[in-house]
Amino acid sequence: MLRFFANRHTDGTVILGKAVSLGRLESAVMEILWADGEGRVQDVLSALDRGLAYTTVMTTLDRLFKKGLLDRAKQDRAFVYRARLTRAEWERHRASGLVAEFLSGPGPSRELLLSCFLDAVGTHDAPLLDELEKEFRKRRRELLKRGAP
Amino acid sequence: MITDYFSRLVCLCFASFFLVHAGAGVAIALLIPAALRRAEKMPARSAAAFLFSLRLLPFVMASCVIAALCVPSYLLLEPRSGTEPLGGLCATAAVLGLLSWLIAAARAVVALGRTLAFERSCRRSGSETRLAGRTVPALVVESRLPLLALSGLIRARLLLSRQVLEALQPEELDAALRHEEAHQSSRDNLKRLVCLLIPEVLPLGRCLAPLERSWAKYSEWAADDQASRGDSHRALWLASALLRVARMGSAFESELCATFTACGWGLEARVERLLRTETAREGMREPGRFAQHRELLLIGAFTATIVLLPGAMACVHRLLERLIQ
Repeated sequence: MLRFFANRHTDGTVILGKAVSLGRLESAVMEILWADGEGRVQDVLSALDRGLAYTTVMTTLDRLFKKGLLDRAKQDRAFVYRARLTRAEWERHRASGLVAEFLSGPGPSRELLLSCFLDAVGTHDAPLLDELEKEFRKRRRELLKRGAP
Repeated sequence: MITDYFSRLVCLCFASFFLVHAGAGVAIALLIPAALRRAEKMPARSAAAFLFSLRLLPFVMASCVIAALCVPSYLLLEPRSGTEPLGGLCATAAVLGLLSWLIAAARAVVALGRTLAFERSCRRSGSETRLAGRTVPALVVESRLPLLALSGLIRARLLLSRQVLEALQPEELDAALRHEEAHQSSRDNLKRLVCLLIPEVLPLGRCLAPLERSWAKYSEWAADDQASRGDSHRALWLASALLRVARMGSAFESELCATFTACGWGLEARVERLLRTETAREGMREPGRFAQHRELLLIGAFTATIVLLPGAMACVHRLLERLIQ
């Protein structure tokens, strides 16, 4: 099962959204669309060559569209599907998603053999940060006044 | 349970290890509050070394007893006759000892696996580079996440996200990288692995976890001290870098679900330490390598003394006989 972050394109910028997982059939469908560029339900069904029902493939493509992974356009009363991301973009965002997942998980998933500069990266108390920032600026002014080494 | 000569030896090793390790571990666990109070009065590096030694102490003690006393006395004095039944206490202790080792090994393997998977993800979403003035290679991850970490047990590598690289000023980045390099010179990642590998007092217990948490705290403070090296300006740049990275984390509330618990020693404590001039100078005082782990050396010396006592082996062998029964 593949896990990655779905992308929503707004103003041409890719942002990260909720984590999405893909089943085996969904992954196979994505592979076909990357290889062929685009395809209708019938095209994907033929490429799959698994003896699946037409409706099964249609539902899968529809699901992938709703997950935000495919674009579709109507041509001659049938939808033509194409992948929103290239395979390279997919791999990068999947890897990026895994990185985020590792960093953001609860206790057990944080047991990595890493020395993090700032542990427990997450939601920080904004008033605390402001307070610390104030202390920092005050200290910097003192040092600059003293000309300390 | 009927056992032959070598099976008995193996069972005795696990059983003796468990009993000595558990006994020493419980004693250390009871002393944790006093140990933490003592650590507060020490420089950060000494405190980190002291707490790490305490964490290792039960394991080192049990290993010394097994290696220097149990095994030699058994091999020298146990008749190589046929089989002998194993008592309930010995069998139970042996099972618990084996279980402790298996759980520790599994924990270490899982952590290693996760870390390797994480590094693979970083490699797939990033590119290797060499940062100016740095000997440790760096992997820049194409991510907006505030990642800045040191990975690797023997051959270290810096992991940082593009956003951190672009957001920090040169002096801030320099201070932050010095902090990570301090972790490298202290081999803190290897020490993390060691803490996972050595068994806990009881198979499913975590009574020595407060020691590990405090060690983690002081090792961060020690890395801060080493990065600042008595220079108040450098300490300030490091504090500034911490605050800037912390603010990046706040921007990703929707993606990162971990709450910043701080545990009383996170960002706030580190920044406050760095802003105090005397802390910047504290990093100049470093204890010698032997002084850092004198507790462990004492255990080794004590065990060697016991071994050399006349009749020690016979006494240990009698104890093992009682354990088997």
